[in-house]
Amino acid sequence: MKKNFKYYIGLAILGIVSSCKPELETKTFSKGSADFSSFIAVGNSLTSGFADGGLYLEGQQVAFPNLMAAQMKAVGGGEFTSPFFSVEQANGSGYIRLVSLKDGNPVTEPVTDKVAVRGANPAGKPLYTKFTNPIQNLGVPGMRLDMAFAPGIGTVMGNPYFERLLPDNTPATLTYQAYAAGHAHTFFSFWLGNNDVLGYATNGAVSTIDVNGVPVEDPTKALISLPVFTNLYTKFIESLTLKQEKGVVATVPDVTAVPFFNTVTTARLSAAIQAGSQGKAKDVYIKTKTTVRAATDKDLFPLTFNTAMLMQGVGTSPLNPVPDKDVLDADEVKLVAQRVVDINKEIKRIAASKSLAVADVYTFLNKVKTGYVYNGILISSAFITGNAFSLDGIHLTPMGNAIVANLFIDAINKTYSSSLPKVDISLYRGVKYPN
Amino acid sequence: MKRLLLSLLLASPLLLHAQGSQVNTQSQKAVGMAGAGSALFIDETSIFYNPGALVKMDHNAVQVGASAVMYRSAFREAGSNQVHDTKFQISPPFGAYATFGPKNAWWKAGIGVYTPFGGGVDWGKEWPGRFSLTHLSMRAIYIQPTLSFKITEQFSVGGGFVYNIGLVDLGRALPVFYPDGSAGQATLKGTGTGMGYNLGVHYNLEDQFAISLSYRSKVVTKLKDGDATFEVPGSLAANFPNGKFDAELPLPSTFNVGISFPLSEKVDAAMDASFINYDIYKELVFDYANNTPVLQDTRSAKKYQNAFSGKVGVNYDVNDKLALRAGVGYVYTPVQGKYVYPETPDNNRAMAAGGVTYAFSPKWEMSAAYVFQHILARTTTNAETQLRGTYQTNIHAPGISVSYKW
Repeated sequence: MKKNFKYYIGLAILGIVSSCKPELETKTFSKGSADFSSFIAVGNSLTSGFADGGLYLEGQQVAFPNLMAAQMKAVGGGEFTSPFFSVEQANGSGYIRLVSLKDGNPVTEPVTDKVAVRGANPAGKPLYTKFTNPIQNLGVPGMRLDMAFAPGIGTVMGNPYFERLLPDNTPATLTYQAYAAGHAHTFFSFWLGNNDVLGYATNGAVSTIDVNGVPVEDPTKALISLPVFTNLYTKFIESLTLKQEKGVVATVPDVTAVPFFNTVTTARLSAAIQAGSQGKAKDVYIKTKTTVRAATDKDLFPLTFNTAMLMQGVGTSPLNPVPDKDVLDADEVKLVAQRVVDINKEIKRIAASKSLAVADVYTFLNKVKTGYVYNGILISSAFITGNAFSLDGIHLTPMGNAIVANLFIDAINKTYSSSLPKVDISLYRGVKYPN
Repeated sequence: MKRLLLSLLLASPLLLHAQGSQVNTQSQKAVGMAGAGSALFIDETSIFYNPGALVKMDHNAVQVGASAVMYRSAFREAGSNQVHDTKFQISPPFGAYATFGPKNAWWKAGIGVYTPFGGGVDWGKEWPGRFSLTHLSMRAIYIQPTLSFKITEQFSVGGGFVYNIGLVDLGRALPVFYPDGSAGQATLKGTGTGMGYNLGVHYNLEDQFAISLSYRSKVVTKLKDGDATFEVPGSLAANFPNGKFDAELPLPSTFNVGISFPLSEKVDAAMDASFINYDIYKELVFDYANNTPVLQDTRSAKKYQNAFSGKVGVNYDVNDKLALRAGVGYVYTPVQGKYVYPETPDNNRAMAAGGVTYAFSPKWEMSAAYVFQHILARTTTNAETQLRGTYQTNIHAPGISVSYKW
């Protein structure tokens, strides 16, 4: 009896401890009408995990398609390999990091150790350590929709991030579109078109670059025309849906929704001029395509704006205005914004014609521009403090990637009646602050 | 010149207000009946349950008791497949009571030290709500000297003065990130004091029917000069100065009605209803001594509603030495859906309890009880943090007490 008593007490204690934990009913997740067994991600720097002005391992590992692929595992997703840089060359192309905050202003420096530079092309541009094993994250930094159809882009004179993915004997005529479409898949993500607008916008709506004082057309700085965009986008999507594969595409964000264009404002430059002139001057003079005038808050300056120019007098008088390429003036903003709207309309139309899901990043970023609270974190398009954008002001932080991954997952679940589990955004960091 | 105002939002570090803490464990006899019995049990714990009943004790006694409250919550973020559990931990509310006074006199005095509110949760630093809360432990210790008087043989009144010492320790992650990618952390620790009172009247008809009315006042606990500690990357240290903070935590008043009546010679039934005036808890304000542009005083809406609980129990006196009891109860939550915080992921709850008292001798008596509370699953989106998901909580509270009578 006594023994039994002890036994019962033991059982009771066991029962208590085990029943202590509440059991939330387990969710069942479904792939709906989609098949995620072979998922490829087609796109540019955003797809590749580019961040802080560079492609490096930490960014690659949290690229939004990689986070999506991890969630797809719950509903039959297969292997998803990315062209990761090795741990020894983890800093890849190199990137920028924050070294200090001086009076609240960020000071950055380039990271140049542990890079994956294997040499230079004849023009002196870096080439990166190759990764030629089969991959599913096909994101290539710098890739444009128009460039995806250009032969030669995979050569040493082309895009080095694409070149590093190709074996040495690859024909120079291979296009990115043919390369991507050549990957067997049951599901794809497709996010191209950003650079077709952004390249032009970030160069102050100037499609040329200066080579020894002579302006030369640069295809990475061109603004894509709507007919070209529609034609190429349709072609690319058709080549990915030959077997009625399902997928998700994304819209292009408005240029004003990213910190690259909303951080260095006219007001801030004007304040600097006032401080520099002991209050005698305040206007920032800019050169537009047609005239020279004082800048208003409708004119946008890039995050990379060289403020030292102001100290040398540039922008402080109508005789010495900020050059056209260093400002996206109000008319140019309008032009680019309209092109983005037109492009997005086409993206949605083409996606609908193929019954593809659409992750509407454009609408999302415009909505959250001024900030929203997610799980107690303030997320906005503010530089650094907004948590979503990395130090280059265009590409995403790990947290930003998690947010975008969930945006894609929501779109997929809605379109294909699937229930891919969401990513826990709070596990991913924003910008790193120095100690 | 990229002039940036680093307007990092330090949302309010929250302090718990714990309905979750109202695991009333002041008497193991009452715990054994799920909290009923304020009219039935006349002993040294009446200091808490009804000071008016104290004088009806025909002896003096001291008692010490403690419970092991295991508060276990689980959370699943909306759309996620991951369930996050709080870490297993035991918070030990305790009670100690002593009575003084001549036997069968018209008055009796007593003192009680007990913990009517308190609890702890530790969600850890890797759950979706870590920017709301990582851990919290909180306890209110009430010290209550009490006097009780007989008006007639049946009718008695009593009252006590309550001095509260409140202790709190809470942490939350801050969305600023170290070079290794880990998040910052804020920790707030403080001690506060408050005052209130406890009144009661008790009436009984022979040994048959008894009724108990009691009112415990609100106790507004003021935390003065608590320590706010911020672990953030060095470059942000100036923005998050460690320093002092003040806060105010209103613990609600409670009006309790209890009745008891015999069902048979050896079996008594008791019922209790409590009305808890939680609506005084409207918001929680943190006043930091050192404000910076990013570290502002915070205001966090709580908007509690008044709550109600009902408890029913039976007591079976097996013989002179042994009594067995059981009870059930239901508590309506004061927390509105939008204001559910991970500190107390509350909802309506159901309780079931069992207990035993054994008298080893006329002087020594031991009581033990076990109450299980199930807080119903609740799916909410928090108005402040937008944390969206489903909580579920189980509370287990075994307890034991020992009395010495003379």
